[in-house]
Amino acid sequence: MAQNNEDEGSIGTSMHGVTAREQVFSFSVQGEEDGPSSRTVRFDDPTAKFALPVDSEHRATAFKPFSFARPHMRAFHLGWISFFTCFISTFAAAPLVPIIRDNLDLTKSDIGNAGVASVSGAIFSRLAMGAVCDLLGARYGTAFLLMLSAPTVFSMSFVSDAGGYLSVRFMIGFCLATFVSCQYWTSVMFNGKIIGLVNGCAGGWGDMGGGVTQLLMPMVFHVIKLTGATPFMAWRIAFFVPGFLQVIMGILVLTLGQDLPDGNLSTLQKRGEVSKDKFTKVFWYAVLNYRTYVLFLLYGFSMGIEMTINNVISEYFFDRFQLELHTAGMIAASFGMANFFARPLGGYASDISARFFGMRGRLWTLWILQTSGGIFCVWLGRATSLPIAILAMMLFSVGVQAACGAIFGIVPFVSRRSLGIISGLTGAGGNFGSGLTQLIFFSSSRFHTADGLSLMGIMGMIFTLLVAFIHFPQWGSMFFGPTSDEKKSKEEHYYAAEWTEEEKRQGLHEGSLKFAENSRSERGRKAASDRSSPSMPPEGGNPAHV
Amino acid sequence: MSIYKIILASFLICLVIQLSHGATKERLFSDLEKGALEVTAKPSRQGVLDAGIDKLSITWKLSSTAKKQANFTTIKVKLCYAPVSQVDRPWRKTENELFKDKTCPHKIITRAYNKSSQSFKYTLERDIPTGTYFVRAYAVDAKDHEVAFGQSTNEAKTTNVFSVQAISGRHKSLDIASICFSVFSVLALLVFFVNEKRKAKLEQSK
Repeated sequence: MAQNNEDEGSIGTSMHGVTAREQVFSFSVQGEEDGPSSRTVRFDDPTAKFALPVDSEHRATAFKPFSFARPHMRAFHLGWISFFTCFISTFAAAPLVPIIRDNLDLTKSDIGNAGVASVSGAIFSRLAMGAVCDLLGARYGTAFLLMLSAPTVFSMSFVSDAGGYLSVRFMIGFCLATFVSCQYWTSVMFNGKIIGLVNGCAGGWGDMGGGVTQLLMPMVFHVIKLTGATPFMAWRIAFFVPGFLQVIMGILVLTLGQDLPDGNLSTLQKRGEVSKDKFTKVFWYAVLNYRTYVLFLLYGFSMGIEMTINNVISEYFFDRFQLELHTAGMIAASFGMANFFARPLGGYASDISARFFGMRGRLWTLWILQTSGGIFCVWLGRATSLPIAILAMMLFSVGVQAACGAIFGIVPFVSRRSLGIISGLTGAGGNFGSGLTQLIFFSSSRFHTADGLSLMGIMGMIFTLLVAFIHFPQWGSMFFGPTSDEKKSKEEHYYAAEWTEEEKRQGLHEGSLKFAENSRSERGRKAASDRSSPSMPPEGGNPAHV
Repeated sequence: MSIYKIILASFLICLVIQLSHGATKERLFSDLEKGALEVTAKPSRQGVLDAGIDKLSITWKLSSTAKKQANFTTIKVKLCYAPVSQVDRPWRKTENELFKDKTCPHKIITRAYNKSSQSFKYTLERDIPTGTYFVRAYAVDAKDHEVAFGQSTNEAKTTNVFSVQAISGRHKSLDIASICFSVFSVLALLVFFVNEKRKAKLEQSK
């Protein structure tokens, strides 16, 4: 899913604080400029009124998930719950499809196309979301998405045919861009040392919405039917629930949230300057880097497959095993709910493997997780008995969701300058993959759904082989070690290559150099001791992990 | 390694359970006695019927060609999809294995078997989807297994089929509620936005 999109820039590119390593001039305290900005604030600092320990930019250096203290933990909870709510809305139709298809006289193609539409809108809204957050702040970015897409959720009550159904699902899908605003918000609130864990939790817990909705909507539908409504009206009323949730969350975000640790954007806008970069340059370096495209495709077959399953799995269990609607929903829900631990687990596994084997470990971890996800997907399609299908589905869910976490263990190292755009493009790749797999395998009567699942698993495994093509000159790839060229095997060379000579002369690449120094941890234990360089103590690996 | 053993063990157990179930699930539609019952279904009016409003007059009696009537205990009358309503809709597919067959999902009435002619006036339920239908009556034995059937159409399911139009499920009150909440959502956002901009301007001018 898209991370804080866009990076430093004119509108749409500021990556304000995403890796927590750049100097953020608007908040420089007591003229400290040397070294990374992650230091604890001095206790005589009059602005130190935060509940959590903060660094010199007032970003939290500790993560306390049970706290709601303002502004940091509050921002975290408002962010991930908003994203969670949007996931609920986007996939709310999926568990009710057995009822909706009878009401609207849908064919398999209609259902499949609507599924494709539901994930396509976010490809564009995510790319635009970075700009919106830069302009309006994360608070309004989130609130705009929530409260302007709530009407689309309510408008399900007007739908009377396949065309209407498709349009409404398309419009609801735009709100998945809350992923970007959520990641943006946490990145300005939390220090780089812990941002990996914070973003992993925010991303994983938000993704859980796709699972919760499979449970929630059939339950709501059932309760509404008990009050006497016919099925064909009850499902429409059921959609009011995600709609309400969105409006409530929007109001909470606006009243309880805060854009930045020191206040809201509009009141802070005149103070200080954030170092800005040019959008065209940032975009250019993202486009030139071939790894962007590889990650785009890889995420398409981890997150993409996950979103496709959110759309088709409930109907699959309902039809194949003759289950009750809420039973099918419960099983489908456990797929999405595995995100609670599976995605952070993937990120954690990536970090651990990096500790021993550096970037090569991260790549192998990703390949192993995503391929096993593919294998279990094939098995799920082949399963003809319910217990085996459930077992296969659970293993499949862990594999594919952990792969999502592992991919964002690699994304922050692909580029320093264009991190935002690459994160955004990777996230958009997820939606693209979902649209593609739904279009090929689940929109026509060519394949039985069971065969579609197996074929999708095989396609996923084939595309996962692309991991072998990600090569870093300074760290190597799955099958090759780092380059032996003296100059090119330095991290500084790789990250400084994104700046022109002119820019280097102006010193604009300082942030990249600092990042390069800290990224030496990606050499792994053995390699780091082999190559004699006075490396700084590794910064816990992962700057902007999601 | 132990986790793999557990997974393998559970897989084997499930396989064994599945195999043991296999025997009872092989009852086929083609084994049933065709035309054991004569079924007629007469719509209450011409044209497309409205769900929730229009009725069907259904009659069924033992056919003269029936052989297995000694086993009949109950008659289950169901509403079934004609082939045209099954196109591109695999959840309505006709399968030979009875437990997989999805042709007749809508129950009309279940009655004890009686040699004489039976009839029933059925009002189309409000959850019947739009489509083309016919009526089939299954004769079921004491073990609740189907043994014979009769239907109101021919074997190819092309004659005597009738069309039903489903209810829309929409309602004016829903539409109004939907518009109200949507307007509230957008207005609330605008109010917050404008308010905050105004406060920021005031602070700046101070």
